[in-house]
Amino acid sequence: MDRKPIVEVRDLVGGYGGHLVLDRISLDVYEGEIVVVIGGSGCGKSTLLKNMLGLLRPVSGSIRYWGQEITTMDEEELALLLQRLGIAFQSGALFNSMTVGENIALPMEEYGRMDPALREILVGIKLDLVGLSGTAGLMPDELSGGMKKRVGFARAIAVDPRIVFFDEPSTSLDPIIAAGLDKLILDMRRLLGITVFVVTHDLASIRLIADRIVMLDRGRVIFTGTVADVERTGVPRVRQFFDRQPDKTIEARGVRTP
Amino acid sequence: MASAQESTQPRRTVIALPGELPDSGGARLLEEISAAISSGARAIELDLSGLKRLDSRGGAWLIRAVRTARAAGARVDLSGARGEAAELIELLAGSFEAPRASARPAAGLMEAVGQKAFGAWREFGDAWRLTVDAAYWSFIAPFEGRGLRWKALLTELDDAGVRAIGIVSLLNFLLGLVIAMLSAAQASTFGVQIYVASLVVMGFARELAAIMTGIVVSARTGSAIAAELATMKVYEEIDALKGMGLSVAKFLIAPKVIAVLIAVPILTAIGFVMGVAGGFVLNAISLGFTFDRWWEQTLQAAAVRDLLQGGVKAVCFAVIIVMVGCHNGLRVTGGVRGVGMATTRAVVMDVFLIVVADLFFTTVFYYFL
Repeated sequence: MDRKPIVEVRDLVGGYGGHLVLDRISLDVYEGEIVVVIGGSGCGKSTLLKNMLGLLRPVSGSIRYWGQEITTMDEEELALLLQRLGIAFQSGALFNSMTVGENIALPMEEYGRMDPALREILVGIKLDLVGLSGTAGLMPDELSGGMKKRVGFARAIAVDPRIVFFDEPSTSLDPIIAAGLDKLILDMRRLLGITVFVVTHDLASIRLIADRIVMLDRGRVIFTGTVADVERTGVPRVRQFFDRQPDKTIEARGVRTP
Repeated sequence: MASAQESTQPRRTVIALPGELPDSGGARLLEEISAAISSGARAIELDLSGLKRLDSRGGAWLIRAVRTARAAGARVDLSGARGEAAELIELLAGSFEAPRASARPAAGLMEAVGQKAFGAWREFGDAWRLTVDAAYWSFIAPFEGRGLRWKALLTELDDAGVRAIGIVSLLNFLLGLVIAMLSAAQASTFGVQIYVASLVVMGFARELAAIMTGIVVSARTGSAIAAELATMKVYEEIDALKGMGLSVAKFLIAPKVIAVLIAVPILTAIGFVMGVAGGFVLNAISLGFTFDRWWEQTLQAAAVRDLLQGGVKAVCFAVIIVMVGCHNGLRVTGGVRGVGMATTRAVVMDVFLIVVADLFFTTVFYYFL
């Protein structure tokens, strides 16, 4: 593996309004690896993701993709960079007024000219990959929640992005489909060389796909390592997470609006 | 000559693929296949042993090439794929078959008309049931001790009534100016400008205050009601209410019905005063009667019958606005897009029904009362 990281996050401090959620986060993502960010609810996972995608501007710190700093980019430069990334949102975030096929074709159309016949085939391919062949003509509200989510994945990988971000991919999917998704992530990495950044707390999925695990707690990185490292670690919060132990008392964890 | 040449052509053609398949390579592959088929090849072998890397776009070109050949009736075999390219092709195996058409049969003319008529009848039924439900929870249930959400009522009154006072006043005032100007132009040819005062007060009492206020409230509150309920439906909040065994009519609709029924007549009264004031301002600027003379004429022209007509219309418009808004909001389907359509539909239906109701009442008062 090339040891030069393609994403570097350094001392990131961020949050919403005056409320800081991320406390000097640093992490690297290397080409072709699957990084999984875990942590309890409200630990700052989603905020981290939003900062990394430029949807939120950090208070301080730096985020670089291929050496380019995004925190100081203007909208246009950022948009250009985001076109090389794919994002699968938690609930699918499909455009309600377009068919499934049009949703997936949208980035293909917008990012550059493509022959319509080829585009149609590509849409079919992406739908096949997520196990939804033949649904291109349906409207999003004709799909179940899990199907919408999978169409969201298909849209995220529509233009063969270099990095794909998944926000809680297996939440609300049945175990069979969740396992299919894990396989899809592994296949994409292996066959297409895509780098994957996943935010999740699905233990089974983490054990299966993660090359490296980054655990957040109260806005800080408290652990970084492989699945094997997790089994050996003595960091109590990590142990508690992987052993599924409840808190002794339910502490106030702070309510955070996404 | 031609047939002799055809028979000498090979029936089987082998096309070797390059190491990668970017757009240019894909287009060339497609050309080669078309050329092979037009020169009579019935079987094509795609030799993939040279293919080192394949991304999904390259895969799409390959699929397109295979589908093109198969559509022309040729057999296509893929051979020699290795490594990751082979695995990707394996993964995409399903896509090599042309997709089945899954179009829904279009309805015939009679069927379409029938469906429309049936749909309209059903919609009317839904609206009627909703209105009965709303009437019960607004005017009967509170007196049976089944409660009313007072806090929600106050919020709705503020939204639909208090916040609309400014715009309703302004628009009626401006309309008063316009009507006075229009009629002054006519009246001055007969030297009866003082009757402009009568016309303004009569016009606003019977008609204009109610219509103008109705349209403003429809645009402000009718659309808001439709959008709010539609969004709640889309996000399953309505289902949540029903699921908890609570009445949608009691929780969401009754406060709106009562609030709009209180707000619209009061706003209409305010609009009436402002319209008459607009007429007076024109007099002050250009007609030149004293205030006393104008006021005397206004009082003379104002009749309880006219005010009653405006009042009846205002109440009727209020019912139309709130029920059309609720009905359209609750019948939304199709997610976020449906919300926009429900809102549009509510406002258009409001304006239409307001004008129809206005015509009805004006006719009744003109001929029968």
